[in-house]
Amino acid sequence: MRHRRSLFLLLAGMAVIAAIWSTLLLSQARPETLDQRAHDVASQLKCPVCQDESVADSPSLLASQMRSVIRQQLRQGRSEQQIIQYFVSRYGPQIVWSPPWQGFALLAWLVPIALFLVGGAFLVFTLREWSARPLATPATGEDEHAPAAIDDSDLEPYRAQLERELAAEDPLFARHRTEAHRWLS
Amino acid sequence: MSVALPIGDASGDSIEERRGSIVYFSDLGTIALILALCFAFYAVMAAVVGASRQRPALVASARYSVLVVAVFMLLAAAALILSFLTHDFGVRYVAEQSSLAMPWYYVMAAFYGGQEGSLLYWALMLSVFSAIFVLTSRRAPAWLTPYIVATLMAIEIFFLLMLTTVSSPFVRLPIAPADGKGLNPLLMDPGMLVHPPMELMGYMSFSVPYAFAVAAMITGQLNSDWLRSIRRWTLAAWSIQTTGLILGAWWAYHVLGWGGYWNWDPVENAALLPWLTATAFLHSTMVQERRGMLKVWNLCLVMASFALSIFGTFEVRSGVISSVHSFAYSDIGGFFLAFLVVIIVFSSTLFAWRLPKLHPEQEFDAVVSREGIFLFNNLLLIGIAFATLWGTLFPLITATLNRQEMTVGPPFYERVIGPLLVVLVLAMGVGPLLAWRRTSTAALRRNLGVPAIVAAICAAILPLLGITSIGANIGFAVCAFTAAAILYELWRGTRVRHAHGEPYIIALYMLFQRYRQRYGGYLVHLGFVLLTLGIIGSSFFQVRQDATLRPGQVMSVGGYQLKYFGNIDTQEPDKETITAQLQVWHNGELQNYIYPGRTFYTNFDNQPASQIPITSYGLTDLYVYLADWNQASQATISVFINPLVPLLWYGGLLMLIGGITCWWPERRRSVRATPATGRAARPRKVPADSEVMA
Repeated sequence: MRHRRSLFLLLAGMAVIAAIWSTLLLSQARPETLDQRAHDVASQLKCPVCQDESVADSPSLLASQMRSVIRQQLRQGRSEQQIIQYFVSRYGPQIVWSPPWQGFALLAWLVPIALFLVGGAFLVFTLREWSARPLATPATGEDEHAPAAIDDSDLEPYRAQLERELAAEDPLFARHRTEAHRWLS
Repeated sequence: MSVALPIGDASGDSIEERRGSIVYFSDLGTIALILALCFAFYAVMAAVVGASRQRPALVASARYSVLVVAVFMLLAAAALILSFLTHDFGVRYVAEQSSLAMPWYYVMAAFYGGQEGSLLYWALMLSVFSAIFVLTSRRAPAWLTPYIVATLMAIEIFFLLMLTTVSSPFVRLPIAPADGKGLNPLLMDPGMLVHPPMELMGYMSFSVPYAFAVAAMITGQLNSDWLRSIRRWTLAAWSIQTTGLILGAWWAYHVLGWGGYWNWDPVENAALLPWLTATAFLHSTMVQERRGMLKVWNLCLVMASFALSIFGTFEVRSGVISSVHSFAYSDIGGFFLAFLVVIIVFSSTLFAWRLPKLHPEQEFDAVVSREGIFLFNNLLLIGIAFATLWGTLFPLITATLNRQEMTVGPPFYERVIGPLLVVLVLAMGVGPLLAWRRTSTAALRRNLGVPAIVAAICAAILPLLGITSIGANIGFAVCAFTAAAILYELWRGTRVRHAHGEPYIIALYMLFQRYRQRYGGYLVHLGFVLLTLGIIGSSFFQVRQDATLRPGQVMSVGGYQLKYFGNIDTQEPDKETITAQLQVWHNGELQNYIYPGRTFYTNFDNQPASQIPITSYGLTDLYVYLADWNQASQATISVFINPLVPLLWYGGLLMLIGGITCWWPERRRSVRATPATGRAARPRKVPADSEVMA
């Protein structure tokens, strides 16, 4: 009963969040300021004269000139992509700070993502297979032959015994209020 | 390689004559290095022969010669330090790295300021760790020890060969200059005293677990006996590396002046990689210990950690990839590359040879189990490690394959690794609540209910507080979930003990006392949650504003007002410092005075060091960088408001404390003191008692 209530609370909480977020999203649709847009563009470009700094972050003179060029072009109504293209044509492709989503550079993005997904799939399939496979070796004491027919409750006396002994050893083991204890009392 | 004759090259140099020294410390250092090399060779030979021919005496002599190597390495290090402290500029390394004007602690730190010194430091630390291993290894499995000793000393030989031939710190100049060049200004910072020694020691310390793995494979003793020792050594390495990384971030934050602490610089990435694989190992090793699974995988992780730490050193030294650590470039990268190839080939051969022996002892039971989540954790950590490595190497790959220059900067890593980080934190909350083998949904619901509600409340409240970014909101909610899960665990454990008659404080202490690994692990996780909060806070909510000010002008950033008064120019013999004078106001009250500035060293004209005042107001940092100035009456400053950044350092500290807690030896449990409440008097009633709580 209590679990159901907490689950209900949880769902209610989620619903509240979803509601708040969607209103936020709707209200957020207003256009960004020139400063924000300029910063967005500048942070995608690498400062050509610095060590590992973006045009947005760099204190160098060139970077501040580039920032004012970005502002100027934004005011003239050019899109972010056009401005980035403009800088690429002047400084070469290495001015863009993260690999573009096209051509050979696509590999930079796809390889890690693909490998991660393959790893994840491999993990799930291996775990499924391992857990589905019956145990090859006979039970080594604590192992249970677990054909589905045996009801979990049949094992409870043994679990209770185990937990009782562990609890006698140390109270921390007693804290899991499992079915075993209910069976005992 | 030559032993300089002590008397031969002392003539014709006024400084040398004035000191009247005949045998230089540097000569003693060279001799110590050569002797250490000889003993290291002997140790390898004696250990391998002694073990294969069953000669215990020979093995014992190998162990003693490890101690001798450590003594000679200490002597060599002492020789270098004394050369520094006596300002013996006849030694090239001393002349390059130190100067008369430097304070004594930077002169000491100049020891590892350059390549030769850091190699010597590496070799010194390796010999010291090997000696510690020999002195404490009585309880380690006896059949493994000779091969561990041999592997450690073989690594030591590589470094000693470098130190005595191509990269000796004791090479003398034909004519000693009157004064040295001095340390690179970037390195003249308190961070220099702590970060490089930690980072280098972190790299080095992965060689001990690697030696264990090699020994286990050579002997074929691949059961779990060696796991306990290897895990403690890995924990030590992990704690050192964690400290090194956090200190590196702290240093970058205080010195570089762009308002951040981590820039996905190739060298930073290289330091992160072995840390990631070691973290993965520390988790998956628990699966092996409990269930006898994942042997192959664990060996891979240990070997990968070591190979990656050598790769890191290679990358720093070779300069194949440009980085802010460019002061460390040199020509010995090739040797490290060769060493790396040898390690990889050797390890893979051993591995392939022993693969048939590495079958698992037990099978998996369920996907939703502690084992399952540990594997998932490994997938995440290795995924992060691979993405980092891939991003670091990609410019190199495009340059060679595609003949095209390409940059892989922070936006790439943030987009690829950011989501993985959040999932990792989530797994951190769920994982410890899952049982081994399989977890019933009822138990899962019971354990996850409270944290989930806390997370939901957090996610609901944050938008009301004006935090509108979806990404940040998810991140914060996940952090709240995990923190709640950990604190709830701590609370439940304490409460149970309290119910058995211990006061709360004692109960909490006893939890840590009795279950070090588990609760130490919780501390590490809690620290990591704080760290993640800091990362989210600073990457989503940093505010930056630049302004050019004239005296009397005020700039306003995020609720703080900065009033400018002018610049002060201080001249000293070896440097010139320009500082801007500013007041910080908040809510109409004067908070304090700050002095952002730049220091120009005469020997390093184009490399000014920055003084960046960082003031923490609660959990928000005010970070001020002097970007430009004109005479005494104009300054351009960049002001950053960095929310939650202090949590990074608190989190790092907590992770270190947790790591030490896990590492600290457990007391033997055979002698059991009975508490005053007489717990032993009513053991059988315990389950019934706990029922009352329900």
